[in-house]
Amino acid sequence: MPQSLLNDEINRQITDVFKNLSHPVAILFFGKQADCEYCEDTRRLLEELCQLSDLLHLSIYDLESDAAVAQQYKVNKAPVTVLAALEGEQITDLGIRFAGIPAGSEFTSLINSLVMVSNRDSGLSQASRDFLKGLTQPVYLQVFVTPT
Amino acid sequence: MLAHQAALESPFVEAEMVEAMEFFELSDHYGVSGVPHTVINDGAGNIIGAVPEERLIAEIKRVIKP
Repeated sequence: MPQSLLNDEINRQITDVFKNLSHPVAILFFGKQADCEYCEDTRRLLEELCQLSDLLHLSIYDLESDAAVAQQYKVNKAPVTVLAALEGEQITDLGIRFAGIPAGSEFTSLINSLVMVSNRDSGLSQASRDFLKGLTQPVYLQVFVTPT
Repeated sequence: MLAHQAALESPFVEAEMVEAMEFFELSDHYGVSGVPHTVINDGAGNIIGAVPEERLIAEIKRVIKP
């Protein structure tokens, strides 16, 4: 049994934050077998997180053997983590993704985005919400970050 | 996080946080040298640094303007 990635103190803090979750969240992990330095750690990190709340549901996919699912979610690299709304068996893709291991400051982003998806509330201003809801063409945002 | 917030509000918005070191070719392709760096619609818009939501919305408006 390999050592946990999250220590007891971190687990306690996250469990506390996860008390604010209200609706189920589907977490879809896409990895690949070869040439993926961070796939294994990302998958383990997500597995450990999902043990901290009954509302988080993790599915594990492989870019090659689950190519159809990867295509459905427009995933073409690994590791990629998709956060989606879950109601019953119905998964609603919200277009929310992490490419690469969500470690360091990105770990905080992951937790925050999980809470946001679970509560289905962006927290944006009414003006921003009105503008975004009125969009009729695709907007693809790629936010480049580093873990530190 | 801001990008994810925007994605939640519209099915037309897709937001991906990309770890720049792990996907070096991609970050190199978009000329990323400092982070956070937000690329909108494959380079039609760029925001360097962390900005308030009004800035992101303004840049999206500029990019999609007909």
